[in-house]
Amino acid sequence: MTSGQERLLIEEGTEAADDKSAGDAEVSSTERVKWFSLIARLSPERRYRVSQSALDFAVLFVVIQVASIVAGVIWPNSFAYTNGANVLTALEAIPLLGITAIGVGVLMIAGEFDLSVGANFIFASIVMAMLANQGWPVFVAALVALAIGCGIGLLNGLITLWFRIPSLITTLGTTGIWTAATLYVHGAASQTFNVSGAFATLTSGSIGDFPAEMFWMIGLGVFAWAFLQRHRIGNHVFAVGGNARSANATGISVRKAKLIAFGFAGTMAAFAGVLAAARVSTITPGGETDLPLQVIGACVIGGTALMGGSGTVLGMALGAALLYWIEDVLLLLGAPGFYLDAFVGGLIIVAAALYAVTKQRRAS
Amino acid sequence: MTNSPSKERSPLLAMRDVRKVYGGVAALDNVSFDVDTGEIVGLLGDNGAGKSTLVNVMSGVIVPDSGSISWQGQPVSMRNRTDSADLGIETIFQDSALVGSMSVTRNIFMGREITGRFGFMKQRAMREASAETLRGVVAIRGVKSPEQLVSKLSGGQRQAVAIARAVYYKRKLLILDEPTSALAARATAALFDYIGALREQGLSSVLVTHDLYDAYKICDRFVVMGRGQVVMSARRDEVGLDDLFKFVSRG
Repeated sequence: MTSGQERLLIEEGTEAADDKSAGDAEVSSTERVKWFSLIARLSPERRYRVSQSALDFAVLFVVIQVASIVAGVIWPNSFAYTNGANVLTALEAIPLLGITAIGVGVLMIAGEFDLSVGANFIFASIVMAMLANQGWPVFVAALVALAIGCGIGLLNGLITLWFRIPSLITTLGTTGIWTAATLYVHGAASQTFNVSGAFATLTSGSIGDFPAEMFWMIGLGVFAWAFLQRHRIGNHVFAVGGNARSANATGISVRKAKLIAFGFAGTMAAFAGVLAAARVSTITPGGETDLPLQVIGACVIGGTALMGGSGTVLGMALGAALLYWIEDVLLLLGAPGFYLDAFVGGLIIVAAALYAVTKQRRAS
Repeated sequence: MTNSPSKERSPLLAMRDVRKVYGGVAALDNVSFDVDTGEIVGLLGDNGAGKSTLVNVMSGVIVPDSGSISWQGQPVSMRNRTDSADLGIETIFQDSALVGSMSVTRNIFMGREITGRFGFMKQRAMREASAETLRGVVAIRGVKSPEQLVSKLSGGQRQAVAIARAVYYKRKLLILDEPTSALAARATAALFDYIGALREQGLSSVLVTHDLYDAYKICDRFVVMGRGQVVMSARRDEVGLDDLFKFVSRG
């Protein structure tokens, strides 16, 4: 009997346990696991449809938030988690990470990476600010920034796919190129970007305590979800990331699906850049160098497969929020911020190692 | 023993004097090979006999140096797998061209999604069609839901899903390259039963296999290859299992 069949039988066993009457005194360990897992409590038909780990992850996220809020209320002075300024900063910062993470996450599902999102973020927003300061309508300047972001992403894709080089290498190279391009067109000084009117409302306004960025993240997240889970091309993105050869054999254009994902990742990074520039009114060339590592980390925490083929938008956004939470807690506890970088770096290595080990196990 | 199929109608696939040379060695040395509608042909032979090259020619992966191929009486030329798929030929290799991280439904419709407006997928239509396709496929008994991930299926179930997908797309000829090499005995029997059942629906199959005992039960005809040539072709009622073993081992 193959291991797959065994697994099926095991699943059938737990299914039978489900049907047992509630009066049964004996509670098997599988049932206890099931009690913990939300997905497992759904009907089998529904269970397979629910995105792998996003829901369980959401539960974990809520638990962490509740614990932090309780701690913040008990020790308001030493752990100012519930402090108004702290909450507001979080609501403004998470979407920037989250929007970029959703773009990179979609690309990771397609089996590729983009390390140039930080350079892209800065370059696109600085060009927008320069154009706006030269008198261009700010909406047009913002659209130019998005087009630049999309173009950077597509170029990453074209180089990667045309020359068949790993995208980690391609985008490591383009990171240098676009960082230099920023200094070339602008110089090393900070660029100011003052917004007003409708543009300011859309990018840095707020409804109640919720900043505009939050709504953009939710809106773009819903868009990405609809694309991935409901659109034909989104299905191709999963297929090429899961097994490019199989996808190709069924007539899917691997290049097209990957190129669209590359373009999407670039556009989202520029979008985050536009929102950040509008919020803080200045752009620092040479900034956002740890953004690529952080967004890949956010995607991995959120259950996106490091080697492609699976992932959820909800997981990516919550992953970004969780990453920010770690940074925030470190800050509140007075620990240096660079601890986060070490954590994210270690996390990615652990995820890759786990993947390699399970793959070797399966092969043997 | 005869190599000529029934004279009244043209065979589904007819290959004549197909030749393919690699570095001075003829992998296929003027091979003629036919498959009739609703026929299961067992393609046998030792390693290096030319079976894989022949399969690759049939699926359009390899373009032969010379020779002709006709499909339902019409001469055709196949340059890639899309060409052969367009004709109605589906090749199922050992890896069965499935994506493990996707559900059975998504695999069945991979690259051929049922879509509505703006390219959005019709989820319910796809789910219902895949459930309908899987219903009654004995070899995939145990697949509890078409929404299950393919990576959770056994090797036999995966092969069956790949075949079910070909059936759904109304393919006329299945080429199965060593479908049972990684399967346990029971799964092999179930898979062969399934292939046999599909013959009743008029589907033809070419079965490349080492599994003579199981293949003997379902194949209508056997073609044995050796050193790039067809060394024997016979209907099942013309040849016994013992003779087949001899031919295969002799090459």
